[in-house]
Amino acid sequence: MKKRVVLIGGFNKTKSLATSLIKKGYRVTAINNDTQNCQSLAKIEKLTVFNGDGSKPFILEDANVYNADIAIVLTERDDSNLVICQLCKKRFHVKKTVALISDPKKTEFFYRMGIDSVVCAISAIAGIIEQQTFLDEMATLVPVGEGRIRIAQVPISGTAPAVDKKLWELSLPKEVIIGCVLRGDKSMIPRGDTRILAGDILVLISSDEHEVAAVKELTGR
Amino acid sequence: MKQFINKRNGGHIIIVGCGRLGANLANTLSDEEKSIVIIDKNKDSFCKLAPSFGGIILVGDATEISVLNEAEIEKATAVISVTNNDNTNIMVAQLAKELFQIGQVVARLYDPERECIYREFDIDTICPAVLSTKEIDKLLDASQEMEDAG
Repeated sequence: MKKRVVLIGGFNKTKSLATSLIKKGYRVTAINNDTQNCQSLAKIEKLTVFNGDGSKPFILEDANVYNADIAIVLTERDDSNLVICQLCKKRFHVKKTVALISDPKKTEFFYRMGIDSVVCAISAIAGIIEQQTFLDEMATLVPVGEGRIRIAQVPISGTAPAVDKKLWELSLPKEVIIGCVLRGDKSMIPRGDTRILAGDILVLISSDEHEVAAVKELTGR
Repeated sequence: MKQFINKRNGGHIIIVGCGRLGANLANTLSDEEKSIVIIDKNKDSFCKLAPSFGGIILVGDATEISVLNEAEIEKATAVISVTNNDNTNIMVAQLAKELFQIGQVVARLYDPERECIYREFDIDTICPAVLSTKEIDKLLDASQEMEDAG
């Protein structure tokens, strides 16, 4: 059976989430308390749309939230998001609840209140902007473990100080590992005596504090 | 604020939301020599307080932890959340109960259907709709009895 996802509140986020989740084969329902937003959302094929305030139990009941697999709550207000998630969890036995919050200080409190996954848009976006601004050499970055560990691709240019050095010759911080070297269309797991060449792309696994130092050591910036 | 709290011995009470109920409550409790901090997002709301109100007013969003800290919530004996938004009241009540372990937490709830969220957190709720229903029902019963007797 298809997994059921309920999206509550939000407009642009709901739109893109709904489209992507439907493509992945989920059964998606959206609840929105703005009539115009609902009409616009209803244009998405296969999306069930309900008009109403998601923090009211009877609206959730109408939308058949009962026993849904995932509820994603995206309204603008933290308090509404908390209440909707709790209603979903306690009254409608939704298996997993995801809440968007705007105040990063309340993340821990939300987890304590039984919400399964808390996404703080502001700190996530601030983190991305910071990376884009200061580490423009990195192609992609994947934060792991609440952002404490990061996996990054670091391209090595011809002028980088690490070029033609063996790995053991580099003085990288201890909490940094070069997990993989991408050379042309080949990838290899490096050893201490692997030589870095210009044009290599290194896959770096590091803690967030040591990332900047490591990138500096490798690329000189 | 410390001096103020020490001077009045009736316990430190935080009221969130200075509407008709919040302001009335603040005036009454202030007359009983309790130390009151009343919080509201909108500073114009405080005009409802009586001139004799002897507590502290705080402009801010009580769902923010920093505002609750400013109100010295860790010393509070009771937190009463009576804003006009049910969800805000629920969140303030849960913050008070779970993060700050306040003994007595009261919240107003317009929609009685949301009560299930409160139940497991040991938060007292006041629901105007339910109270009014009971009261009206009582009045009707009384007049019915009068008629029957007469």
